[in-house]
Amino acid sequence: MTFIKYKLFKDALTSEVNVVNKIYSDHTLSIPFDPANTDYQEYLEWAKTNTAEEAD
Amino acid sequence: MSEIKVNSIKGVSASTAAISIDNSSGTCTAKLTDNGGNQFANRNKIINGEFRVNQRNHSGSAGHNTYTLDRWKYARSANSEFSTSQSTDTPDGFANSIKLDCISANGSTGAGDYAYLRYHIEGQDLQDLSKGTSAAKAFTLSFYVKCDITGTFAISIEDVNSRMCNATYTVSNTNWNRYIITIPADTTGALANNNLTQLSVHFYIIAGSSHSSGSAVHTWGAYSASSVATGHTANIVSTDHNWYMTGVQLEISDYATPFEHRSYGQELALCQRYYFHLVSGNDKLIGLGMNYGNPDFFAEVTFPVTMRAAPSLDITTGTNYYRMYQANSSGDDMDSFVISRANTNKCNLYDSGSGGSIGKGGVLVTNNASASVAFSSEL
Repeated sequence: MTFIKYKLFKDALTSEVNVVNKIYSDHTLSIPFDPANTDYQEYLEWAKTNTAEEAD
Repeated sequence: MSEIKVNSIKGVSASTAAISIDNSSGTCTAKLTDNGGNQFANRNKIINGEFRVNQRNHSGSAGHNTYTLDRWKYARSANSEFSTSQSTDTPDGFANSIKLDCISANGSTGAGDYAYLRYHIEGQDLQDLSKGTSAAKAFTLSFYVKCDITGTFAISIEDVNSRMCNATYTVSNTNWNRYIITIPADTTGALANNNLTQLSVHFYIIAGSSHSSGSAVHTWGAYSASSVATGHTANIVSTDHNWYMTGVQLEISDYATPFEHRSYGQELALCQRYYFHLVSGNDKLIGLGMNYGNPDFFAEVTFPVTMRAAPSLDITTGTNYYRMYQANSSGDDMDSFVISRANTNKCNLYDSGSGGSIGKGGVLVTNNASASVAFSSEL
């Protein structure tokens, strides 16, 4: 289970970026932008000093 | 010793008996209106305190700060590794326990070493504690532990206001024993009424001097990293040693009551507020969906209970792990998908590379034995 990257995603209907994928070698956490979601909180901490890959 | 033989007990001015005794069977009917200030049911603030629910099918090394059996998080320093698993070694009346098996044979404890199990509780489930007010109440933590080393272990209670209370329990033999620790009321540090962590319970199994050299024991005070495990001496640093726990109960009371067993269905539903394992294995149904656009496929998932927050999709990924059947076709395969429009009750699973046709419905299934789909809104 090796962490590879964070990658942002756009909503297919609105084109709003509202999901970030935390991609590991064998699985992915697909994280909605909910302030109460602890995975999202962890991403925000990570993003203070790092940059996620842009959405396609 | 004396004995009172009566067939009823009635208040002085009451018209009916408060307790009616069956003279032959030795049983009674009682009209109870209060349980010493405690709740009759739903007393236990801990979910999966008897470790029956293991939706992640977890067994093995969890790594630092990761969930193991439902609701229970494991954390450790770099050289203090344990394998965590669901065990059937239990005291009477329980089916399961959690087992922590030392797999790092470092043989000694460095100052910064630590390992513990942690349990987080939502603020909205703690308002009856009245913490941080003049009406604050004591609460009691009880649990069964079995360990093949003897000595003193530490627990700590920490809140989001950087306040803590630590305590210890002493294992004096290698049997299952129940330990009871009453935590005093704290009139400082109110807990917010929300869906976030407001209080955490830590069960230490390793604590080096950096975590155990403080002086405060069993009293509320400001958080101190050196006091979180003060008094802890029983460090498990040999691969010969295991630590088991079950029957964890935290109740608002200054004494412990018997462990409150819930049905498996109740316990699973409580766990699913935080983690929902939908499916794993090959050819399992995930959900129904439709093609919004030519490559844009959405499938819908409804969660069995309202989740704590909009959850993360936790999905294993690999070549053609998932398949969408549509219009009598042999199916279009995909490696993964993305969560979309999630709320606490429902979400869409989205894939931008399906080969489906606009407007047509489809069935999303797993297509590999290693495929797995789950949702997490853990604290």
